[in-house]
Amino acid sequence: MIRFDNVGLRYGSGPEILRDVTFHVLPGSFHFLTGPSGAGKTSLLRLLFMSLRPTRGLIFVFGENIADLPSAGRAALRRRIGIVFQDFRLLEHLTTWENVALPLRVMGKKESDYADDVTDLLHWVGLGDRIHAYPETLSGGEKQRAAIARAVIGRPELLLADEPTGNVDPAIGNRLLRLFVELNRLGTSVIIATHDYALMEQLEAPRLMLREGQLQASGS
Amino acid sequence: MTVLNDIRDYPWTSLLAGILPAPLTARLPRRFQATTAQIVPSASIAGNALTVVIAIMTFLACLTAGGVYMVNQSANAWVDDIASEITIELDPIDTANIEKKMTLVSLFLAKQKGVTRVRPLTAADSAKLLEPWLGSTAALSALPVPRLIAVEIDRSSPPDIDLIKSALSRNFEGVTVDDHRRWQAEIRLITRSTALGGLAVLGLVAAATIAVIVSATRGAMASNREIIEVLHFVGANERFISSEFSRHFLGLGVRAGLFGAFAAVIAFLLLPFLMHLLGGGAVTEAEARRLLGSGELDFGGYLLLLLVVIVVAALCMVTSRFGVIRVLRTYD
Repeated sequence: MIRFDNVGLRYGSGPEILRDVTFHVLPGSFHFLTGPSGAGKTSLLRLLFMSLRPTRGLIFVFGENIADLPSAGRAALRRRIGIVFQDFRLLEHLTTWENVALPLRVMGKKESDYADDVTDLLHWVGLGDRIHAYPETLSGGEKQRAAIARAVIGRPELLLADEPTGNVDPAIGNRLLRLFVELNRLGTSVIIATHDYALMEQLEAPRLMLREGQLQASGS
Repeated sequence: MTVLNDIRDYPWTSLLAGILPAPLTARLPRRFQATTAQIVPSASIAGNALTVVIAIMTFLACLTAGGVYMVNQSANAWVDDIASEITIELDPIDTANIEKKMTLVSLFLAKQKGVTRVRPLTAADSAKLLEPWLGSTAALSALPVPRLIAVEIDRSSPPDIDLIKSALSRNFEGVTVDDHRRWQAEIRLITRSTALGGLAVLGLVAAATIAVIVSATRGAMASNREIIEVLHFVGANERFISSEFSRHFLGLGVRAGLFGAFAAVIAFLLLPFLMHLLGGGAVTEAEARRLLGSGELDFGGYLLLLLVVIVVAALCMVTSRFGVIRVLRTYD
């Protein structure tokens, strides 16, 4: 599904943030991506999501070498990936429902075809009574769930989450982890970037450990 | 069929919301109102200043296009008129009986093939032609004003003008033939110069509009960077993102274009009165009328103004679309 071969990344002429990163993500797998702050977790996620290009090495996403893909091809691959940002990235002028429906709108689907799915998903993540609320009125946990709902509404084959429990209390964190596990059971591969060891201890899953830009331990 | 589907699926209600002011959109029947919120909010695209600038550009473009159209129409009518007529000029100097000579020449011309009508102009008619320049004065009768004979010709089988010229010079002294070719050439030259000047002005207006839209697009993209990034992350391609922006600019172009064209229509409706008010005397008014005709636009002229609005709106849309794609490529 995802393959990194000796990938290196540097910003401008600065030092290498990531060095010789090699790993393989199989369909239906669940990984934690961990390491201390500044180890390069977010940069690795951005590479996975094709919002950055590696300075060296090869990245294959769904079997495609992303270096060979035009912009439209990368956009098509991104539609097969859901991403949850640490800072949620919800659009403030759209309601919770409209934010969650955004990936389907982008895909060109008709509202009548997806309206019920969006409403059902919002109920499933516990936001049934916040459908018409704007992000500024949502709590941190509610925003996180809305961001997760947006990431999964398009039934992605791969879900990437950057510190998904970083802004929520432990109880909500556990609930979100159960949500990711449930999605994984339904066939979505999941990579969670976190340095929350308590969260990782709750689940037996391979850990991709980044330290000083290098992947030190991996499992697939 | 893809094009038809694209047209059917186009968010027309969003476009309408971009064209009409919000209070007016709210009064529309529900089916004309956008059901989903706009991904890129209208307010974040451009303020009223841009609308005013585009409206002024459209106004100038409409004035130029309408003015050139009027001059062309007037010149065509002129050329049509003078191409179907030749003028015979009789020099009164050294002619004892000019009226007799007028009659003889007229009779001679009436016999020529291809001549449909011969109209000798009286001395009063000739004086009237000079009136805008010399005024109405009795002194005119003392001047050796040339006498004229207007000859209408059959344009489907015109006479041999050179043959008429040589026959007249053989039989009569002091008679010249003006077939208006020089005038036709000059009118055509003026018309072409006016059209070229108009095109140059339209080109400048278009360039200024493009520059303003490019700048506004960059500004809009900078202020909506977060939205663009989110769209990027949820898999929106360049086409989707650029259409979200260009739809706003199309709406802005239509709205501003209609304002500008409406102002130009008012200006053209007032033009006959303005020509009279600003006239500067009978000569200036007469010359302005010769150049612009009645000073009123016909149906074709108003269609031309509509075309200007369409071009301005399309320019806004296309420019913003390319501007967005260009900026997006720097993100990738």
